[in-house]
Amino acid sequence: MTSISEQLVDALGIMIMGMGLVFIFLSVLIVGIAIVAKFCPAPEVVAKPDVPPSPIATNQLDPKLVAAITSAIHQYRA
Amino acid sequence: MEGLMAFWAETGIAHFEAGQLLMMGVGCLLLYLAIARGFEPLLLLPIGFGAILANIPNAGFTEEGGLLWYAYHVGIETGIFPLLIFMGVGALTDFGALIANPKTLLLGAAAQFGIFATLLGAIALNLVPGFEFSMTDAAAIAIIGGADGPTAIFLASKLAPDLLGAIAVAAYSYMALVPLIQPPIMKLLTTPAERSIKMEQLREVSKREKIIFPLMVVGLTILFLPAATPLVGMFCLGNLMRESGVVDRLSKTAQNELINIVTIFLGLAVGSKLSAGEFLRIETLGILVLGAVAFSIGTAAGVLMAKLMCKLSGGKVNPLIGAAGVSAVPMAARVVNKVGLEANHQNFLLMHAMGPNVAGVLGSAVAAGVLLAVLG
Repeated sequence: MTSISEQLVDALGIMIMGMGLVFIFLSVLIVGIAIVAKFCPAPEVVAKPDVPPSPIATNQLDPKLVAAITSAIHQYRA
Repeated sequence: MEGLMAFWAETGIAHFEAGQLLMMGVGCLLLYLAIARGFEPLLLLPIGFGAILANIPNAGFTEEGGLLWYAYHVGIETGIFPLLIFMGVGALTDFGALIANPKTLLLGAAAQFGIFATLLGAIALNLVPGFEFSMTDAAAIAIIGGADGPTAIFLASKLAPDLLGAIAVAAYSYMALVPLIQPPIMKLLTTPAERSIKMEQLREVSKREKIIFPLMVVGLTILFLPAATPLVGMFCLGNLMRESGVVDRLSKTAQNELINIVTIFLGLAVGSKLSAGEFLRIETLGILVLGAVAFSIGTAAGVLMAKLMCKLSGGKVNPLIGAAGVSAVPMAARVVNKVGLEANHQNFLLMHAMGPNVAGVLGSAVAAGVLLAVLG
C-alpha cells in the first residue's frame, strides 16, 4: 500500500513538473514567434491596383448609345 | 494415410486455441471498422490484418526470422517507423495558422494535461487488484491522451514494449472516435453564446517566418529538452523541407510515398503485437479505459484554457478551439468547425482551430520528451 502512495506522490510530481515544462517550452516559443514576426515584415500584398477600370468603363456606356447600337444591329440583321 | 495425418497436424484447424480465434475476431473487428465505418482506415486496416496474421498457428510470422518479427524489430523497437511518420506529418503540416496567432500554443499545452492526469490515474489503478503498472508503463499509457499515434508508439516502444499493441490500438481507435468523444465534452463546458463567438481573420504569414519556425523549434528543443529531439527533430526536418520550397521532390516523397510505405509496415508490425498471449490480459482493459479518460481530460483542459483566454481577451476567443489542442490533426479541428457551425451558421472556425491543433502535436512531442527524460 505504501509503495502505491509513494508512486502516486511521484506521479503527482511528474505531473506538475511536466505541465510546467510544457507550458514554459511553448511560452518561450510564443516569445520567439513574436520576435521573428517583428523582424519579418508582413508579406507585401501583391500589386492589385491599376487593373480593374476596363469592365467598369464598359458598364458606364451611355444607355442611349447602347440602345442605338442595339437597334442598329437589329436593323442590319433584319 | 501417414501423409494425411502429417498434413492434418500442420493445418490451422488442428492447432487453434481459443485465444487465437478471439484475437482473429478482434482483427476482423478492426477490419470492419476500417472498411465499413471508415475509422482511420489507413492504420486500422493493416493493424487488423496484422492481428489476423499474428494469430495463425504454425505460420511463424511473428517468430524470430518471420516477416512481422523483422518489421517489428527493424521498425518499431528501434523507433524508426514512428519517426519517419513524424517526418511525413511535419511535411504535411502548415504552421501558418499557429504563427499568425501564437497564443494558441497555450491551448496545445493545456490539452497535454490529459497525459499527465492519466499518469496519475494509471498509478491509482494499481489499487485495483490485478493491475500492476510500473511508472514507465503508466507514462506509456498516459501518452494516449496526446492523441498522436506516432508519438504514442515511439514512447511505448521505449518505455513499455510489452504494452505496445494495446497502446497503439487504443491511440488510433480514440483518434478515430474524436467526432464522437469530443462534442459532448465541448458542449458541456461552453454556453451557446460562447460557441457562436466569431474570431478575427488571421493575418498573412510570410515565407521567411515559416522557414524560421521549424529551425527555432529545433533550436529550443536542443537547448531545453534534448530527449524530445528525435520526435521534434524529424518533425521539423519534414516541415523545413516543405516550407523551404527548394526540395519539393523530397517534401513530396516524405508526404506521400515514404509515409505510405512506412504506414503499411507500421500497421503490420503493431498488429503483430496483438497476439493472444500479449493482448488478452486484464491490463488491456485498463489501457482502453485509461486512454478514453486521458482523451476526455485533455479535451476538457483545452476547452477550459480557451475559456480563460476568452475572458482575458474580452470575448475574442471562441472556447471551442481549445478542444483542438489534443493533436489528432486535422480531425479535431474539423470537429471544432462542425460544433461551431451548429451554434452559428456563419461561423467558420477551421483555420482558427488549426493553430491549437498543430500546437497539440508539438505539445505532445514535448510531453513525450519530458516523460522520456524523467523515466527513460
